[in-house]
Amino acid sequence: MKKTIILSIFFCSFSVKAQDHLLNLLSQDKPIYISYLFKGTKVVNGQSVELPSKGVLQFTIQHRFGTLNSGFYNLYGLDNSQVRLGFDYGIKDFLAVGLGRSSTTKTIDANSKLRIKRQIKDGFPVTIVANFATYVKQWQYTDNQLDNFLFTNQLSFAQQLLIASKINRDLTLQISPTLIHYNLVETLDEPNDKYSLAIGGRYKITKRISVNAEYFHQLNDKINNNVLSFGFDIETGGHVFQLHLSNSSAMIMPAFITKNTGNWLDGDIYFGFNISRVFTLYK
Amino acid sequence: MNKLAIFLFLMLSVQVNAQIFTGKNGEINFFSETPIEDISAVNNKLSAVFDASTNDLVFQLNITDFKFPIALMQEHFNENYLESDLYPKSKFIGRVVNIMDEQATVWGDLTIHGITNSIKVVGSFIKSKNSVSINSQFIIKLKDYNIKIPKIVMYKIAEEIEVKVNIELIELK
Repeated sequence: MKKTIILSIFFCSFSVKAQDHLLNLLSQDKPIYISYLFKGTKVVNGQSVELPSKGVLQFTIQHRFGTLNSGFYNLYGLDNSQVRLGFDYGIKDFLAVGLGRSSTTKTIDANSKLRIKRQIKDGFPVTIVANFATYVKQWQYTDNQLDNFLFTNQLSFAQQLLIASKINRDLTLQISPTLIHYNLVETLDEPNDKYSLAIGGRYKITKRISVNAEYFHQLNDKINNNVLSFGFDIETGGHVFQLHLSNSSAMIMPAFITKNTGNWLDGDIYFGFNISRVFTLYK
Repeated sequence: MNKLAIFLFLMLSVQVNAQIFTGKNGEINFFSETPIEDISAVNNKLSAVFDASTNDLVFQLNITDFKFPIALMQEHFNENYLESDLYPKSKFIGRVVNIMDEQATVWGDLTIHGITNSIKVVGSFIKSKNSVSINSQFIIKLKDYNIKIPKIVMYKIAEEIEVKVNIELIELK
């Protein structure tokens, strides 16, 4: 009798194994892609490896105020605000285009982001995205009448490789070699091409809030200060709300990477926020 | 004792000769109806195996294969609710306990979000010579699987989700 029981237990365990064996028939070894490295398409000011999904239009309103050290007379910077309105659209899951305009420098920017490679669980370690942007400074009719006016002088360009790795479910790090090209520079000695390297990342403190940081280091002909920014991403359903502190008030790369005069230690700290809302245009 | 050994041996030999049916591109979708917004998603990569000798029936799917009409919902589904980075797969390990008029009753363990619950599901189960067609729908409760819904979400999520399964299994040669 005892033996029967032992045998029947043995048989039971065998039959469980049989079911596991059935599950093994199903195991497909396809790569598991790592997704959602950042909450937003930007780390703080610079681009992140995230793109709007296919058919999704993202509308972003960006605000930057004056410096926190500008005194109560300027309400610590709040009187002095500038805005960038931007649209980003996902043509494919791996390709997105964007259009925006900044108020202070009166610059229109257009960019495209192309995802080249994705991070794979226990496989390829990073996600790689290329970002290309063109910037056109607006002019007035009177500028146009000047003899030395050239449309091409109003242009600048940015090329970036964004390389990011989700270290764990909370921490993502990104490194972005960046080339900015100015068609027009201020002095003869100044090079048109400026190289910089950005290091950034995010850390999720809760499921819906992350802390972000970003630093652009200028590699050649540094005239102005390097930009260091911190941000909080707060996600609420269809919105991502981002709060920033930075030593630059600019929202486009040619301005904040090489033309930034603010210094954290002097209290030139600009507060700003982004609100983005997504709309699904195409399902 | 001898008889038992023979019986066991017989069982084993039956297992070896088992008629096994598998399917890979089954469809599973879920639907959640709320006053504000309906949420639905579909996964076309459901796989299953049925062993006709033991009546064992198993299902498996990848959470990330669920496609939503709204990309942001898909992100929240993966990141916040199902936590697909921690629990990439959902599976059902069970057994067909009764078949009558092509209606089958299936008992088994359903694992979602790392939590396993015993469930009983009734559905249509049409077995022919070399294929099995399974069609079923059932309700799962989010709190049974420790899926937490925050109070402040743009789209409200129902506590109970209706799941529909449809898969065709072909005999494994």
